[in-house]
Amino acid sequence: MSLMHDIAFTLNGVKRGATVRVDMSALDMLREVVGLTGTKYGCGEGECGACTIQVDGLSINSCLMFAVDCHGREVVTIEGLADDPASGRAAALRDAFVEHGAVQCGFCTPGMMMQASHLLDKHPHADEAGIKRGIEGNICRCTGYKKIVDAIVDVSKQERGA
Amino acid sequence: MGVAEKIRFIQRDSLIGKRIVKMDAPEKIEGKTRYIHDISLPGQLHGKILRSARVHARIKSIDVSAARALPGVHAVITAADVPDQRPIGVARDHLPLKSDKVRSQRDEIAAVAADSEEIANQALKLIKVEYEDLPILSDPRDALKRGAVLIHPEPHGADGSDEHLKKGAPVAFTGKPDNIAMRFDYAHGDVAQGEAESDVVIEDTFQLHYVTHCCMGVSGIIAEFDASGNLLMYSNTQVPFLHKREFADYLNMDPARIRIIQPPIGGGFGSKLDIYPFEVICVFLARAAKRPVKLLFTREEEFLASPTRQPVLLTLRSGCKKDGTLTFRQVNTLHDNGAYTSWGATTPFVMMQTFSSLYRVPHCDYHTVAVYTNNPYAGSFRGYGNLQATFAIEQHMDMLAEAIGMDPFDFRLKNAQEAGEVTGQGMSFKSCGFKECLNTVAIRSEYQNKRKANQARQKAPGVIKRGIGMASMLHVGGGAKIYPSDGCGTILKLDDFANVTLITGASEIGQGSETVLSQLVCEELGLPMSALTVVNNDTAITPWDVGVHASRTTFIAGNSAIGAAKKAKVKILAAAAKKFECPEADLDLRGGWVIKAATGEALIDLPRLLRSLHFTDKAELVMTTFYYEPPSVHQDKAYKGDVSAAYAWATQAVEVEVDTETGIVRMLKVTCAHDVGRVLNRLGIEGQIEGGVVMGQGYALTENLMIENGVMKNPNFRDYKLVTAPEIPEMDISFIESMDGEGPQGAKGVGEAPAICIAAATANAIYNATGVRMYGLPFTPERIYRALHGKSEKPSWKPL
Amino acid sequence: MTDIQKYFAPTSLDQALDCLRDGDVTILAGGTDLMPQSQAGKLRFKRTLMNIRRVPELIGVARQGGDICIGALTTVTELMDNALVQRHLPVLVDACDHFASDQIRNSATLGGNICNASPAGDTLIPLLVLDARVELASKNKGRLNWRSLPLAEFFTGPGKTRRAPNELLVGVRIPLPEPGGVAYFHKFGTRPALDISTISIGIAGTLRRGALFNVRVAFGAVAPTVVRAPRTEQALEGQRLDPHSIAQVAEVARDEVTPIDDLRASAWYRKELIHNMTKRMLDHVAHA
Repeated sequence: MSLMHDIAFTLNGVKRGATVRVDMSALDMLREVVGLTGTKYGCGEGECGACTIQVDGLSINSCLMFAVDCHGREVVTIEGLADDPASGRAAALRDAFVEHGAVQCGFCTPGMMMQASHLLDKHPHADEAGIKRGIEGNICRCTGYKKIVDAIVDVSKQERGA
Repeated sequence: MGVAEKIRFIQRDSLIGKRIVKMDAPEKIEGKTRYIHDISLPGQLHGKILRSARVHARIKSIDVSAARALPGVHAVITAADVPDQRPIGVARDHLPLKSDKVRSQRDEIAAVAADSEEIANQALKLIKVEYEDLPILSDPRDALKRGAVLIHPEPHGADGSDEHLKKGAPVAFTGKPDNIAMRFDYAHGDVAQGEAESDVVIEDTFQLHYVTHCCMGVSGIIAEFDASGNLLMYSNTQVPFLHKREFADYLNMDPARIRIIQPPIGGGFGSKLDIYPFEVICVFLARAAKRPVKLLFTREEEFLASPTRQPVLLTLRSGCKKDGTLTFRQVNTLHDNGAYTSWGATTPFVMMQTFSSLYRVPHCDYHTVAVYTNNPYAGSFRGYGNLQATFAIEQHMDMLAEAIGMDPFDFRLKNAQEAGEVTGQGMSFKSCGFKECLNTVAIRSEYQNKRKANQARQKAPGVIKRGIGMASMLHVGGGAKIYPSDGCGTILKLDDFANVTLITGASEIGQGSETVLSQLVCEELGLPMSALTVVNNDTAITPWDVGVHASRTTFIAGNSAIGAAKKAKVKILAAAAKKFECPEADLDLRGGWVIKAATGEALIDLPRLLRSLHFTDKAELVMTTFYYEPPSVHQDKAYKGDVSAAYAWATQAVEVEVDTETGIVRMLKVTCAHDVGRVLNRLGIEGQIEGGVVMGQGYALTENLMIENGVMKNPNFRDYKLVTAPEIPEMDISFIESMDGEGPQGAKGVGEAPAICIAAATANAIYNATGVRMYGLPFTPERIYRALHGKSEKPSWKPL
Repeated sequence: MTDIQKYFAPTSLDQALDCLRDGDVTILAGGTDLMPQSQAGKLRFKRTLMNIRRVPELIGVARQGGDICIGALTTVTELMDNALVQRHLPVLVDACDHFASDQIRNSATLGGNICNASPAGDTLIPLLVLDARVELASKNKGRLNWRSLPLAEFFTGPGKTRRAPNELLVGVRIPLPEPGGVAYFHKFGTRPALDISTISIGIAGTLRRGALFNVRVAFGAVAPTVVRAPRTEQALEGQRLDPHSIAQVAEVARDEVTPIDDLRASAWYRKELIHNMTKRMLDHVAHA
C-alpha cells in the first residue's frame, strides 16, 4: 500500500483538499482524484506538453510534477482557463483558435491553450518567432503548428492594439 | 394583417470555398471533449498486457498464480485460458495471446484486469515467464536465406489441406516452407522493349526506414458485455463496420450483437485500420471478469505495440529517350513484414499506382516480396506506401533529366499526363490538374532559376549551401474500390425548426469530415452551419461506410450527404410548389427560406413550411436516405482497373539550407500546389496540407524509429524526434480546382497527399545544394554529414 | 507501489539537514528528472521523500563580494530572467535558452541539474567555464558544516557526484568575470531546445589583443560527465586567434575527446562536431 498524503491547494480559483499517493504525478491527481480530464496524458515524460497546467502563474508539465508539491499553491487547468471571466485573453485565445482553424483532433489543444496563455502573460507582444519558441515544448501531430501560431500571433497583435 | 408585408429578397451566398470553422473546435478548446482516455464506465476495471521480454523465443512456461492471488485482481488470462481464440490480422497469422512462441518484442503473453492501473501493473510484475531463445532475424535479406529459422513454422494440415484455416480453427496460419508472407507482381507493357528504346538507363537502390504515427492520444479500448451477452466496444477504429464484422469472426459471435461506439479520436493517420491484439484481449478480459474493462497504452507501449510505416528496400531501374520521353520502370522491393502481417504488406497496391502511372510510363514491371522477420510489423500510415515509391521515382526523374541534360522541370512537364488519359494500369484521369500543379509550383517557387543558381554555388566557398528540389505525387482522390463496396450511407432528418440531423457512416478522425459534410448539406438546403447536428459514431445508429482511409471521406461521404440532401430538397420544393401553385423549377432554398429562384424573393421560411407539412391530416416529415457507391471498379487479378472515381495530384518544391560542417538540413520553404478538384472548406483543407507537409518533413528529416536486432531503441519522444513549432518551414499553398465531374461540388480527396512527396523533393533539394544524392532516409545531420564526407555506403540490393 | 514510508517538506535548511542526517532520503526539488526516472524504473525511491522546494536558504540570486551566488532552487527560467545573471553571466542565459522547454524551465532547478550530473547537462557547461563552485551543507553532532568545491571536481560519473548522502547542495558561487572576460556556449542540435545534446561546448577567457587568456574550455556529451578540456585550453592559451591557430586548436580538441557511440550519434561524428564547432566558435571570437 503506497503512502498517502493530504494536501490543500487552490484549483481553478477554488480552495480544496485531496488525498494523494506520495509518488503520484499532478497529472494523475487531476485526472483520477479530482476527476478533471481536460489535462491530457501524452507521454508522461515532459516531452510533449499535452499535460501543461499553470501553477502559481507558471506553465508546468503536470506529468513531471509531484502531486504533493501542489500543496499551498494555485493551480489552473484548462477547465479553469475556460471559465475565468476576468481573463479577456482566455476568450481572445479561444476565439482565435476557433477562427484560425488551430484545432484538428484537439488532443494537444488544452496544453497548447495553457502554454499560449502563459506565453502571452509573460510576453504580451510576442512576435511569431518568439511564439514558435514559446510553444516548442508542445507537440502537435495534426496541424503542422501554422494555424496555432497564427492564432496566438493574432491575439498578441490585438493586445498590441494593432 | 392590414399593412402589406414587405417583400424580402435573399442574396445568393455560397458556403463553398469559404473558411468554415470546425464544429467541435470550441468544445476541444475548453478541454470538454471526452476522448476514450477520459471515459469511465461504472464498475470498470483496468486492463494491462504483459509483453514479451524476448524478441524470438519459445515460451516454456507461464506462471500467473501470484498475479491471480493479488488483491484487486479480477482476471488474469493467457492463451491457455482462451483456447478458442482465433488468429487476427490481414493474413490471419496473428494470435492475440501467444501460446507456443513469441516472435517480436511486443508480443502479448498475458493480460490482467484489476481494480486500478496500479494494481494491474503490480500483477504484471508477478507473472513469471520462462523462455528458450531462438535465433533473431532482424534483416529480411537474412530471413530469405536458405536454412533461416522460420518465423511461422506451423504446418498445413497433415493432409496438405487448408482445413485448419476454416472458421473456428485455432491455429495461426502460414505453414509456408519459407519466411515469405506475401508477394505482388505487376506489369504493363514490355520493359525489355522499353529498355531497348532507352537512350539512358539508370538503376539505384533506395532504403526507406521505420517511422510511426505518434498520435497524441495513445491507443485504448473499453469493452463491456451487457446482461444479454451483447458486446459494446468504445473504440477509436477508423473502420467501425469492417471491425464489427471482423470482431464477430474473431470472437465467434453474431455481428448483430456487437456495437461499436467511437469516441473522439486523438489522431488516426491510418493507425486504426487493422484489429490489434490488445483489442481482442480486452474483450477476453471483459468476458473473464464479467465487468467492463478499459485498456490504455502508455506512450512507450504506443511505440512498441503500434504498427509502423512500411520500411522498404527498393531497387528502381528506369530509362528515357534523349528527347525526354520516359520509357520504362522496373521495380523490385523487399518489404520487412515483421513478425505478423498487417496492412504494411499490402502497400504494393498503392505503390504500383505510382510506379505505373505517376507520369506517362509505357512499360512497367514491379515485384514485391514481403518477408517475415522478428521486427515490429508495419500497418497503414498516411500515404500507404506512396511516400516510399515517390521517394525513388522522383529522384530518378531528376537523375534522368540530368543524364540527358534537360531541365528537371521541363522533363517532368513533358511526361505529365492530362485529363482524358488512361494509364497502363487502367486508371482513367477524368479531372487532372497535374500540369497546372507543376507550372504553379515552378513559377511561385522560382524553381528553375534558383536550381541553376544553387548548382553554380555548390563548389563556391561557404559552409551553408542552399538547394531547391521538386517532386510530384499521384494518389487516389475518389475512394479506392478494394473492398466489396466503397460506399457510404447517409440518413438525413429535418425537424420542425429546420434543424438538420446528419447521420453518416463516415467517421471524424480530426480531419474535419463532420464540418465539410455539414457544409455540403447546408449548401444544398440553403441553411446556416448552426442548423446542423452530426451523428457519426455509433454502429447501432449510423448507416454503413467502409471507413476512413484512402483519402475518401470528403468525396464519398460528401456525395452521400449531398444525395440525401437533394432528396430532401425535392420533397420540400414539391410541397412548396403545391402551396404556391407554381412549378418546382421556379423555386429554390436559400438562407433558411423557400425563395423564387429567378429573383430571390422570400416566399416562406423553411421552419414554417416544415411545420405545415408535419401538422396536417396527411402528416409528412422530411427524412431521407442515400447510399453512394462511386463508379470505380475492382481491379482484376492483374491489378488493372479504374480503382478510384477520381485521382489527385500535387507538386511540391522544397527549399533547404545545408550546413556542411554539421550536416544539419533546415527546411526553409515548401511551395505546393494541390489538385483538389474544388476547395470546399478553405480553413480545413489548408490545415490538412500544412499538417501533411510537416508530417512529411518529419519523415524526411527528423523521425527515425531505431530497431536493432528486433529491439526498439527509442520508444519515446525524447529520442524519436517529431517536428516542433520552431522547425516548420514557410508554406506557400495553392489549390488547383480541376472541378471533378463526380466529386461533391467538384472536390477530390486530399488527406494523404501533402505528406507524400516532401521527402523526395527534399532529397532533390539536398542534391541541388551539395551535389550529393541521398538514397536512404532520414536526412538526419549525421547521415548527411557522412554522405558529404564519403563515409556512407550506398544501399544496394537485387532480388534473388 | 513505492517504498516511500515518509514524506517530509522542511521549511528550513536546518530541518532539511536533520532529515538527511537520518539517512535513506530521496530529494525532490523541481521533479523534472525525479519523476520520469522513477516512472521508468531507473530510480528506486528511498524510505523518505523530502521536498525541499520550500527551504528559503536555497532560494535567491545575489552578489556577494566578487561572486554571484545562485541558490540551488533557482529555476532555469529564474536564471534567464535574473538581472544579475543577464548582466554578468550572459553565457548562462544562453545555455538556459536551449534547455528543454518553457514548461520544464519553469520547474527545473539549477541544483537539480547539477546533482543529476548528466554527461550532456546544458547548464553545466557554462558553469564549468565560469569556474563555478558548489556549496554543500550538512549537519553533524548538531553543528552545521559547509563544504565548497570546484564544479570541475564535483562529477564522478553519469548521474554521480561527490555529494555525500547527508549533504544538501545549497547553491553555486561564480566569480564575476574579469574585465574583458568573454564566454560562449554552443549546443549542437536541429532544434533550438527540447533536445539532449549531441555535443555541447563552452569557451571562456579574457580577450586581449586578439588572444584568449585564462582559458577555460568544457565539453558536454563526449565523456561520462561534462568535462574541462585541459589540452585544448593549453593549445588556446595566449594564442593569437587566426585561421592557422584556430585550426590547430580544433585538431587538439578533436583528439582530446573520447566520446562513445550511442543511439544519438557515433563517436566519430561527435569528434567531427567538436572539431568543426570549436573552430566555428573561435572564428566567431576572433571576429568579435
